[in-house]
Amino acid sequence: MAFPCLRCGDAILYKGDSIMYRYVIKRLLFLIPTILGVTLIIYAVMSITPGDPGRAMLGTSALQADVDAYNAALGYNLPFPIKYLNYVKAMVFEQDFGFSYLTKQPVFDEIWPRFLETLKLAFLGVFIAASVGIPFGIYAAVKQYSLWDTIPSLVAFFMAAFPSFVLGLLFLYYFSLKLNLLPSYGIGSFEHYIMPALAISIPPAAQNMRFTKSSMLEAIRQDYVRTARAKGAAERTVVWKHALRNALLPVVTQIGLSLGVLIAGAVVAEKIFSIPGIGSLIVDRIAYKDEPVIIAGTILISICFTLVMLLVDIIYAFIDPRIRAKYSNTKG
Amino acid sequence: MLIIIKGGKQMNKKRLLSLLLMLLMMVSVLAGCGQKPEPAEEPGGTETPAVNPDEEVLTIRKTASLQSTDWEATTNTFDMQIMWVQVFESLYTIDEAAGGYQNQLAKEVAISEDGLTYTVTLVDATFQNGDPLKASDVVFSYKRAMENSRFNYVTSMIKSVEASDDKTVVFTLDYPYSAISHTFWSIKISSEREVTEQGDKFGTVPHTAATGPYIITEYDVASGLKLKANENYWKGVPNIKNVEYIVISDDAAAVIAFENDELEYLPDAPLSEWDSLVAASGENNSLTKGNNIRFMAINYLSPTNNNILGNLKVREAIFYAINKDNINAAAASGYGAPAYEYMPHEYVATSPSYEDGGFKIYDYDPEKAKSMLKEAGFTDAQIAEGIDVGTLMTYGAATAEKAKAAQVIQANLAEVGLKCEIYVAEAAQVTPKLYAQDYDMCIFGDSGNYDFNNIRQQVHSESTGMYVVKYADDKSPLDYKRLEELVALGVSTADTEERLGYYTELWSMVMDSATILPLYHNPVGIAWSSKLDPGGLSPTYYHIYNFKWVQ
Repeated sequence: MAFPCLRCGDAILYKGDSIMYRYVIKRLLFLIPTILGVTLIIYAVMSITPGDPGRAMLGTSALQADVDAYNAALGYNLPFPIKYLNYVKAMVFEQDFGFSYLTKQPVFDEIWPRFLETLKLAFLGVFIAASVGIPFGIYAAVKQYSLWDTIPSLVAFFMAAFPSFVLGLLFLYYFSLKLNLLPSYGIGSFEHYIMPALAISIPPAAQNMRFTKSSMLEAIRQDYVRTARAKGAAERTVVWKHALRNALLPVVTQIGLSLGVLIAGAVVAEKIFSIPGIGSLIVDRIAYKDEPVIIAGTILISICFTLVMLLVDIIYAFIDPRIRAKYSNTKG
Repeated sequence: MLIIIKGGKQMNKKRLLSLLLMLLMMVSVLAGCGQKPEPAEEPGGTETPAVNPDEEVLTIRKTASLQSTDWEATTNTFDMQIMWVQVFESLYTIDEAAGGYQNQLAKEVAISEDGLTYTVTLVDATFQNGDPLKASDVVFSYKRAMENSRFNYVTSMIKSVEASDDKTVVFTLDYPYSAISHTFWSIKISSEREVTEQGDKFGTVPHTAATGPYIITEYDVASGLKLKANENYWKGVPNIKNVEYIVISDDAAAVIAFENDELEYLPDAPLSEWDSLVAASGENNSLTKGNNIRFMAINYLSPTNNNILGNLKVREAIFYAINKDNINAAAASGYGAPAYEYMPHEYVATSPSYEDGGFKIYDYDPEKAKSMLKEAGFTDAQIAEGIDVGTLMTYGAATAEKAKAAQVIQANLAEVGLKCEIYVAEAAQVTPKLYAQDYDMCIFGDSGNYDFNNIRQQVHSESTGMYVVKYADDKSPLDYKRLEELVALGVSTADTEERLGYYTELWSMVMDSATILPLYHNPVGIAWSSKLDPGGLSPTYYHIYNFKWVQ
């Protein structure tokens, strides 16, 4: 199997058992203790918070004896280690996340469609943030001190400080109410995603732009770039082949992190635009102490975030052969 | 030199440009934020577009997703507005505007002389699945509710419920209970066949197990609910054929959706946006006194500061220090009303009215509050330093209305020399503390009461786990045995005047003890589209059956 080196463009051939393959498998296996750690922390936190599902579900007029019986039937009063082990066993061996205390529906049936909605929104947000922020950042770095630098930098400075809920409300007011161009709530068509995606992508786009510019400026000032120019390389080659590839590493990290943040943080956009996502579901269910949903939702977000970080690491290895080399030196 | 000067000029130009751009951006944002919404056109001022009733969908906002399609599992008012009124029916319904109960599925109710037996004759109605309403369905529904502890407070007096024939149900009570009307309203009738067939799935999927005017056609716990008119409804087909409930949790987004004509009916409109809604809806809005009261309670058994709250004078001082108008302004945006009764006498025929002067009310009087503290034995120096009365606890969001009320009370108490802290947390966390009397002072709410007997939950010793102030105690500030006797006397007779007399004495005892103080009524704002005629308005339970499209 051959992979192109993104620094020099040469093909690098690997032997049968690929280093990358072992690297990915190792990282995937690392998911297991990560998920177990997350469930343990969430379970522990939920155990120490006051309140119980029995009172939340049966209401204020229920007798305490009945509330206690309800909690007992749910296994709520079992010792923490037993409750936790029962949950992990059901999750791993039966793929059973339990039933929602509130709606009595299977947790997975509730959270999976909502998780997909959040994922759609988050990926759209990251795509917009990256496709707008990175090119502007590159151009601002290349044309430093010009208008192409001043204007985008100023706009980015301003927009990076804008909370997404403020943007969301402004968009609602202008595009929905005043101009009647876009629907103000829900999902269903592409138009429904435009405002929420923009609201959550503009602040990270601004951050991406500033980050990319900073990273590019650092790369442009390196000796090898000066050498490339001195050797007569075209400016395009200098920027795209030499400077950008070296500047990309921190930018890729930033994008990966922002995707994780958007998956968890899209709750604000979900609330404002009434999008049935996982974030708003978890927030709503906290008030009812609906533990199965809260825990399962958090686990799903954690798995997604970890996979995103794995993807970032894989991309690193493609971009920077030093990372691949490190793994080839340490292979068993 | 020349280069430096040239460079300096360029830097100045760039700096100026940056400043100009920044100013431009701020001006454009501020201009957009500051713009007032254009007032809505007067209804009838322009042509209302023609409405096709068979196709038009009535879109209503919900703040959170529906918990269940089983009426027994709905625990909040917003879900009850749908399941208890639009989908399910009961033996009695309530008329909030006029007060009192009316027959619904009960055609006739005969009461035995001893008040222990109620014989109910049913109307000719059918369930949405086509099955005729039978007495056995009523028996099934009541027995099912009697096994649910949530309804213990309205079913504990029922000894038995039997079907004597297909259309007659006989209720036998353990003791005379004139407040049975509230039970007949609270317990909804479902189809025994369908509920049994669905088993555990009942409540998680659409069904046709009710007799009401609307059938659930789609239920997605994430996004909302769709209803269609029951074409075989026993009272006649509804005018509104299609209803959709959309979950919009953000208040500002809901108002924008309404102004954008994406919602036709906005019950429980957010008061913080009321001016904007009034501007958008013209005459199509209403602000009504809600049947939803906030109270302050003082735990006279609290050990804080050597049981300072056990002193009647201190409790009275606290109550006299409270400015209800300020609380109304802060918590209800000024649209509420100060409260003096446990239940609004406008909605509850047997509720003592403060206008009759039958019980003590604590009008805002800070000077009297200070004099009460002196009578309690505190010196001017102690009052000036501040007397610690513990923590004022409440539930909900930190920015929500009960928390705002708590802040006002804290300030009011400070003005008369009383210090307290505020503790606000989620209801699931706070309410167990209240029911265990593990608090000093608290703010809580009570709503949806249509018979004064419901106060039993708050004052009777058998209501453990429901009351906030425990009156049955050796240190009780009132004669709790007389209190409980009055609760029993209140339901022993059906005579409204007699019941009113008992309840006036009861409420007077509670007010004299300075343990519960009504604070304010939450107002209910409703706005609707010019396409819609909502008929008579109710503060809590609207009836879509009474709505029609404006042609």
